[in-house]
Amino acid sequence: MSVLLDHLPELWQGLIVTIQLTAASFLGAAVLGVLVTALRVSPVRVLRAIGTAYVETFQNLPLLVLLVLAFFGLPTIGLKAEPLVTAVAVISVYEAAYIGEALRSGVNSVSKGQGEAARAIGLTFTQSLRHVILPQALRTVVQPLGNIAIALTMNTALAGAVSIVDLTAAAQRVNLVEAQPIPIFVGAGVAYALIAACVGFVTGRLERWLVILR
Amino acid sequence: MLMKKIIAVVAVSFLGLAACGEASSPAVPGPSKSGTDVIGQAPVAAASDILPGSTMEKIKQRGELIVGGSLDAPLLSQQNPATGEVEGFDAALGKALAKYIIGRPKVKIVNSASETREALLSNGTVDVVFQTYTITEERARQVAFAGPYYTSGLTIAVKKGTSGIAKPEDLNGKKVIAGANTPAIPAIKKLAPQAEIITFGSDPECLQALTQDRGVAYVQDETLLIAAAKKDPSISIVTKPFTVDPYGIGLKHGDDQFKTFVNAWLGKIQAAGVWQRIWKDSIGTVVTGDAPQPPRIGSVPGS
Repeated sequence: MSVLLDHLPELWQGLIVTIQLTAASFLGAAVLGVLVTALRVSPVRVLRAIGTAYVETFQNLPLLVLLVLAFFGLPTIGLKAEPLVTAVAVISVYEAAYIGEALRSGVNSVSKGQGEAARAIGLTFTQSLRHVILPQALRTVVQPLGNIAIALTMNTALAGAVSIVDLTAAAQRVNLVEAQPIPIFVGAGVAYALIAACVGFVTGRLERWLVILR
Repeated sequence: MLMKKIIAVVAVSFLGLAACGEASSPAVPGPSKSGTDVIGQAPVAAASDILPGSTMEKIKQRGELIVGGSLDAPLLSQQNPATGEVEGFDAALGKALAKYIIGRPKVKIVNSASETREALLSNGTVDVVFQTYTITEERARQVAFAGPYYTSGLTIAVKKGTSGIAKPEDLNGKKVIAGANTPAIPAIKKLAPQAEIITFGSDPECLQALTQDRGVAYVQDETLLIAAAKKDPSISIVTKPFTVDPYGIGLKHGDDQFKTFVNAWLGKIQAAGVWQRIWKDSIGTVVTGDAPQPPRIGSVPGS
């Protein structure tokens, strides 16, 4: 226990980086995910194909591979960014595939008549998505989105592979000196569990708040 | 069909990208021989040394020595992708120890990471750890160390033409690359507290990061850096080793009987010249000259 208290500043800094990575990546993934969903449900065949290709590509490649490829591969074609920026971009792009699929399930849960009615009163595709379909779709996918946010939090631990000192990397560094893996990693695990619990709590509240009684 | 084609194109272009990255920094420095002929000459313990009820007897009955080690440390313990054999200094010593106990070099390597090896030893998953395991007093409270069996030191590599880095203190205020979970991290923190340390999991990644200017210097074990500088002329080494890292053989804490046994084995292979030949076959392929004098067993606090 004392080993955790002795190294609290380093671990705390790691926790802050983990939370930054999680928040920024989730935001990026949410924006991209909406775009992916729009592609996936678009009436234009080519756009649907692009959306499908995006989802299939990023759901079928391990995040670690993407991180390492982007970090070491992109500089060779002249694209070099700060490690944190690279990690946020890659995690966003990766998680957007999952968010896109979750949102699409929500869109599909909105009855067909809603879309048809929206088009019938003269809304364009974008307008009908924005004003009619997505607001209803989002309500049904609060829980799945929460699960994705939790998975994303855990996935940020992979950023350690590209030199970012997040909570996991900070714990590894402390253990390197102290050689007491069990208290150190249990401590880090508890911190991750607390983040997950917070996300779960928020999604639970959000779901009750947004519910429409029909 | 279209989808599959798109995926194939994307996958191929990614592979191409990866290949470009690799070509500029070869991952495997130096040829390393498997050293099985050396193991053939390694000693075997007398039956009277295998005390009844001891750890050695348990290993002998199992017919296999379980070693905690790496599979990706060049010259020390690296799996040869062609043969599947694990080669290098640490790996060969593990085989020699297995031969000493069992009579034949039967080793199972459990790929242990720096964050798990104390736990693996204390719960008995592995019998010994050969993994550039620097003996420190903190660690000696969790595990027992036989040896030291080798002494190495950290040094600094930079891209050729970099000026202003001649000693560890010069790293202050600069971005410094180090291997994740290597003793380089605490060493840099001690000598250059203002340095920003960025870490990567493996040696090839660290070198790639150095050549891509992610940091100005790379602090790593001298042996590995000599091998890297030999392969890649754009890298140069700027200091003599500035730390002394005695590597120990990790054993279960409190198993004094086994520790005495392993120390006796180490003394025997050093006296018989087996240690020196193993060094020649591994580290000696990139470091010129004869094998160094092995460190005195038990000479380090914690061993």
